[in-house]
Amino acid sequence: MTSLGHLKRLSAVRSSAGVKFLTPCAFPGSHCPLHPALALAGNIRGLSSLVIGTPECAVYSRVVLPKAQGDLHWTYVLDAHEVVFGCRKGLMDTLQKMDQAGAKAVLLLGTCVPDLIGEDIEGLVREMQPRLSARLISVMTGHFKCNSYPSGSWKTLKAIGALMAPREVRPRVVNVMGRSPDETHIPMPPLLRALLERGFTLRCLAPGSALEDFLEAPDAAASLVLSPFTDPLAADMEQSFGTPAFRLYDIYDPAEIGALHAAVAQRLGIEWDNALDDERPALLSLQEQAAKRLGGLRYVCAHTGPLGALPMAAYLAALGMEPLLLHLEEFWPGDKRWTELLNARGYDPPVCHMVNSDSDAPLLEGLSPALCLGDLPGARVRIPSVPQLSDLYGLCGYERTRSLLERILRVLDGPAAPGERRAPYGTL
Amino acid sequence: MGLYKFRPVPSGRMGTLWTLASIRGAALLEFGCMGHMLYGRVFLERIGVSDACRLYATHIDETDVSLGGTERLSRAVADIAERDRPRVLFLLPSAVPEVIGTDLPALCRELQPDHPDMRLIPFGCGGFDAGQYRAVREALLLLAKTLPVDAEKTARPTFNLIGSCADIFRFQADAAELVRTMEGAFAMTPLCVMTSDTSVAQIERIGGAHINLVFRREGLPAAAQLQQRFGTPYLFARPYGVQGTCEWLEQVSQITGISPDRSFVEGQREEALRLISPALPMFRHIIREHPERGRISAGGHADVVKGIMSFACGELSFSKGVCWCDSPDMADEELPYFTEAQWTQAIGSHGKALLMASGEALDWAGRGTELQIANPDVKWRLNPYEPPFVGFRGAVHLTNLWVNAILKEEF
Repeated sequence: MTSLGHLKRLSAVRSSAGVKFLTPCAFPGSHCPLHPALALAGNIRGLSSLVIGTPECAVYSRVVLPKAQGDLHWTYVLDAHEVVFGCRKGLMDTLQKMDQAGAKAVLLLGTCVPDLIGEDIEGLVREMQPRLSARLISVMTGHFKCNSYPSGSWKTLKAIGALMAPREVRPRVVNVMGRSPDETHIPMPPLLRALLERGFTLRCLAPGSALEDFLEAPDAAASLVLSPFTDPLAADMEQSFGTPAFRLYDIYDPAEIGALHAAVAQRLGIEWDNALDDERPALLSLQEQAAKRLGGLRYVCAHTGPLGALPMAAYLAALGMEPLLLHLEEFWPGDKRWTELLNARGYDPPVCHMVNSDSDAPLLEGLSPALCLGDLPGARVRIPSVPQLSDLYGLCGYERTRSLLERILRVLDGPAAPGERRAPYGTL
Repeated sequence: MGLYKFRPVPSGRMGTLWTLASIRGAALLEFGCMGHMLYGRVFLERIGVSDACRLYATHIDETDVSLGGTERLSRAVADIAERDRPRVLFLLPSAVPEVIGTDLPALCRELQPDHPDMRLIPFGCGGFDAGQYRAVREALLLLAKTLPVDAEKTARPTFNLIGSCADIFRFQADAAELVRTMEGAFAMTPLCVMTSDTSVAQIERIGGAHINLVFRREGLPAAAQLQQRFGTPYLFARPYGVQGTCEWLEQVSQITGISPDRSFVEGQREEALRLISPALPMFRHIIREHPERGRISAGGHADVVKGIMSFACGELSFSKGVCWCDSPDMADEELPYFTEAQWTQAIGSHGKALLMASGEALDWAGRGTELQIANPDVKWRLNPYEPPFVGFRGAVHLTNLWVNAILKEEF
C-alpha cells in the first residue's frame, strides 16, 4: 500500500490549502483562476476585461479569448517599478482610455503579482467608478491562493452579480444558471423542457449570455442552479433580491430529486402532472440493483472536470461505495456539509489534488481500488475506469443519476482493458 | 510596460522557457505557480515544440510565499531525479518567487550535492526588467558556458547553428533550409542546432564543430564563448535572397577554408532564379507604374526584417516602406523599435504597400496572414515542413508570396 501520509483526510480539510498535491511535480498541472475568468469575460457580450499582471498572463491568456466582437479585452503589464511601487496611476489612465473607447462594463482581473504586492484594485474600482460611464468590477485571481481554476469562475460570476439591482419580479421567468443559451452539446434536462412547455421563459446565465441577461436576472421567480460555479452568485441573489435558488447540480438521490422538483413546482405555482416521473421508476430499479453490486466496492476518484467529486461521493457512499482517495479541484466554502455526510456514512477518505497523471497513476494502482472514477489525462491507468464523467456536467435529475450508475455498472460488467488489473470488488 | 491592446513584449522568463523547451534529454522545473507552465506548454505545442524537454512546475502557495518555503522545490527536484533521471535539470525563474526574492541559484547549490547524477542549472532573467530577446541571449550563453565538454574537432567538417529558437516565426523551416544548404554546399552536417533541434548530448559535443553559424544576434555571446573555449570561428548572418545566400556561402568558405561544391551552389542559384524570373516582369511593372504598391513594409525581429528587406530592395528593387523591429534593445537608426501605438498607426496609414509583420498585426489589419514573418501568431504551427524564408528556397518562397499579394491587390 502506497503511503499517503502527507495527505489530509477530508474531515481535517477547512479550505483548499488543506488539499495537498498527490505528487510534487505539476505536469501539466491545473489552470489558474484567470483562465475561466477570462473565458467568461470573452463569452459574455457587453463585458470587457483588463488583465493586470505579468507578460505571461497577458500573452498566454489571449489564447482563451475568442475574437473580439465589440468588447475590449486589454492588458496592463506591470514593469519593475510598478512591482515595487504599485500601478495605481497606470490603471487609472487605462480605465479612462477603456471608458473613452466605449467599454460598457470592465472586469479588472488582478493576477498573481498584483495580488501578491497588495495592489488595491477593489479600492481603485470604488474610486474610479463615479468618474466613468463604464461599470467596473474586479476579481483577484492569484494562483498562489488556490490549487486550481474554479474560483476564477465563481468569483467572476459573483462580481457580475454586484452590478445587479432589484427588479420587479416576473412570475413566468426562471433563471437557468450554468447553461448557455446557445448550448448544443448538453441535452436540455427534462425539468427545463417541462418549464418551457408550461410557458415559462428560461433565461440562461452562462458563457454565451449577454451582460444584460445577468443584469435582468433579479426579475426571475426562481433560479435553477445547474453548475457549482454559479451557486455563489445564486446565493448572493437569494440574499440580495430574494430570488429563490434550487440547486440541481449536487443532488443524485432520487428521493431528494423528487423533493426538489416538488419544491420548484410549489414555488412557481405549477403542477408537474407526472411530467418528470418517467425516469423515476427505472432509476429506482437501477439503484436497487446497483446497491447490491456496489456495496463494499472501493474506488478512487480522479479528474471529473467541473463535476464536483464530493456530492457524487456522498451519494455513492449511500450505496456502500467506499472512497479510498478523492481528487478535489477545489474545496468549496460549502463543502463541509458533504464532509459531514460522508463522515456520517462512515467514510473519511484522504483528499488530494492530482497534477501529474503519469506519477499519480501508479499511486492510485497501489491502493488496489476496484474502480477509478474520472480520468487521469494522458496516463495509462490499469484500473477499471469510468472516464469522462464531465459529460454529466450541466445535467440534473433522474437522468443524470441513471447515467452515473449505468456508466459504473457498464465498466464493472464489461471486458477488462488490455493490461488492466481488476480487484475483486466488494471483498477487499 | 503599461497598457496593451495586443500581446505585450514577452518576459525574460518566457524567452528562457522558449529557448530551453526544445532541448531533448533535459527536464525543466519552474518554481512558481503552475498556471504559467500550463499555458506555456500549450503555447509551445501550438508552435510545434512538444515532447522534448520535460516541462514541470512546482506550484507555490500562500504559506510558501509568507514563510519563504522551498520544500516544494526540493521535493520536485528529488521526484524528477528519481522518476525521469535527466542528466540536466533547468530551473526556470518565476514571477512570484522573483517578487519575494527567492534565490534560485543558491537553492540549486544547496540541492546539487543530493543529486550527483543530475546537474541543476538555474537560469536568470526572471526580473521584471528583462525581455524575451535578452533572455534568449543569456540562456544561449549559459548553455554554451555550462554544458559543453572538451572535444576534439570532428574528423569530417561540421557546424553548429546557434540561435534557432522557438520564439522566431517559422524557426524549424529556416533552420532546415540552412542545414540543407550546408550539407549540399560543403558536405557539412550539423553537430548542434541550438536550440530548436538539439539535445543535451549534442550541446555537450558542440565544441567539435568547425564553424558556428550564428542565426540571430542573440547568439553572438554564446558564439564568442565557444570561440574562446574551443577556438571555433563564427559567422553572424541570416542569409536571405539568392545573392545573399551565395555571399553567405562564400563567407562560410572563407572562414572554414573549405571550397563549396560549385555545381550544387550554381544549381541552387539557377533553380531559384529560374523559379523567380516569371514574377520579375510583374514586379517591374508594379514598381514603375504603381510605385505605392512596390513598397514593402515590415515589422518583426530586427535580423529577420533587415534580411528580408535586403532581398526585397537589394535584389528585387522594391522600395522600402515603413520598417520596425519588435525589441527596443535592437533598435537603431535604420530600424526603429515601434510600440504598439506606433505600429498600429503605421499600419493604419500604410496604404497599398505590401505588409509583412506578425500574425496578430496582419490579422488586426484585415490583411490575411500569408505575409506573416513574425510572432505573435494567431494560428497553430504543427507543420515544421512549411517553406522557409532564408536561403535559396526562402527567396523563391518570398517571391511567390509577394507576387500573389500584388495580384490580390491588383485584380
